[in-house]
Amino acid sequence: MGKLMINECAKLFRRTGTLVMFAIVILMIFGIGAVLKYDEVNNPPQENPAWEQELAKQLEADRAALQEVGPNNAAMKMFYEREVAVKEYQLENDLAPETGENLWSLISESQAVIGIIGVFTIIIAAGMVASEFSWGTVKLLLIRPISRSKILLSKYLTVLLFGGLMLMVLYAVSALVGLILFGMPDQAMPYLALADGEVVERSMFIQLIFNYLLSSIDVLMLATMAFMISAVFRNSSLAIGLSLFLMFMGGTGTMLLASKFDWAKYVLFANTNLSVYFDGVPPVEGMTLAFSIIMLLIYFVVFHFLAFFVFAKRDVAA
Amino acid sequence: MSEVLTLDHVKKVIGGKTIINGLSFSVREGEVFGFLGPNGAGKTTTIRMIVGLMDISEGDIVICGKSIKKDFTEAIREIGAIVENPEMYKFLTGYQNLLQYARMHDGITKEKITEVIELVGLSDRIHDKVKKYSLGMRQRLGLAQCLLHDPKLLILDEPTNGLDPAGIREIRDHLRMLTRERGMSVIVSSHLLSEMELMCDRIAIIQNGELIDVQTINEFTEQATAAFAFETGNLGDAATWLKNDWNALMIDEGFTVEITREQVPVLIKKLTAEGIDLYGVKAVAKTLEDRFLEVTTK
Repeated sequence: MGKLMINECAKLFRRTGTLVMFAIVILMIFGIGAVLKYDEVNNPPQENPAWEQELAKQLEADRAALQEVGPNNAAMKMFYEREVAVKEYQLENDLAPETGENLWSLISESQAVIGIIGVFTIIIAAGMVASEFSWGTVKLLLIRPISRSKILLSKYLTVLLFGGLMLMVLYAVSALVGLILFGMPDQAMPYLALADGEVVERSMFIQLIFNYLLSSIDVLMLATMAFMISAVFRNSSLAIGLSLFLMFMGGTGTMLLASKFDWAKYVLFANTNLSVYFDGVPPVEGMTLAFSIIMLLIYFVVFHFLAFFVFAKRDVAA
Repeated sequence: MSEVLTLDHVKKVIGGKTIINGLSFSVREGEVFGFLGPNGAGKTTTIRMIVGLMDISEGDIVICGKSIKKDFTEAIREIGAIVENPEMYKFLTGYQNLLQYARMHDGITKEKITEVIELVGLSDRIHDKVKKYSLGMRQRLGLAQCLLHDPKLLILDEPTNGLDPAGIREIRDHLRMLTRERGMSVIVSSHLLSEMELMCDRIAIIQNGELIDVQTINEFTEQATAAFAFETGNLGDAATWLKNDWNALMIDEGFTVEITREQVPVLIKKLTAEGIDLYGVKAVAKTLEDRFLEVTTK
């Protein structure tokens, strides 16, 4: 398997297109950094002496909303309970909100680039099997003493490696650029999360990694789908087209469905955004984190079953 | 001689249509086996089944005692193949391409790769990108790719396609060397009949997915009744019996007739007995091509 992955990586990273993708991601981080810096220079951060009063005011509003919406909407109740708890904790412990920019803000802002990484990963996943067919090299690839499913697995793992590497580059370069442009925050800046009714302080470093991974779930699912389409239909345009369409429209479409029908919760895109369970509202009432994870696993297994079954059986006539 | 490849009543049905219908033949150790047939006869389909790219609908294909159906990885180990054109990763160098395939077999050393590159004569250009290669160089790289793991059976689908005469000759010399010195067996499919005649020990002819015949090259060309041209003086009355009894064809210098070798002296005696001047007799050799058309249009 190791040698097969070396092969796949050699084919992937020796193409100029792949390197251009990395260059684009890095350029976008510079862009975001530049905009943040420009903003900071034009509006230098000022200490807000009245932050406690303002926060208290917001807290009042949140409490009122909790009273009003809480009893008939479980999801909104969760959301406001968390807001209230976190704000109470901030006031109690005298944790003023950070005013200036720092490296964490750039890493956080850079999450916007995960969408671009998604597009790139889908393009790579869609080409993984289909290009071997269009290059004609599949005939030399499949006449080796290696089962077809092993070859397919090595290709899929290479897609994951590519996506993971892109995320790591995004995180690391953002941190580096953030450190150079803004430096570390003046005081330690923990992330406040609500766990079992208690507010806990978490390391921003770990929390942002967690956020990155959460935001990458739909990328993972769509890349898996693109890979499946590519293996089944051997057509990269179809795989790219369909996956990108679903990536941009899937979320909106599902939200529309979710507002009318309960079964929308079984749609893939109702489950890809797991962050709603941590700081938001799930699309359909009554959905839980466990439910979404199970749905994701089912889709994942179905995609792979289709890909492996068809690829292992199919006659190669290209 | 032991058999390296055996096809046993192989059948291939695609979409309800029988493409290959009960094909059976064997390839022996150390021979160059020609696979001949008009376009669409099922040559490439058969080759794809041998290398496991296509499923076998019925029957079995056995390579060195291992079934490609049940024991794919063991059976395919013994095969090196180019199926149709030798398509390579164009964005990689020739060497990187070979590395790709070397990693998929066990125990291929750097020395082995270098040896194979030298054998096919690509040492000078092996570190160039494949997109800069000529067709002949790609063909040679394709050959290198199938020799890396020392297979027992080499399968070359149209190996001389698009090559110039020098390239064709080179491929031919390579094949001779590989079979003679390394005891490899080679299956060559081609429609270039004159090439087959020079390359192969035996040939199989298939048409419409069925095997018509398997013969050695010599049998194949010899069995054909050869044509002989007789250069004679005025034939006179003899023309009549020549036409009737021997089915002769009159030409300006005399006549041509299709007879076996043994019949030649008989006819000469007969002509001299009739007092006809005989200036010369020459065999008009029939090519494999004539024979091929003869067999396939029956």
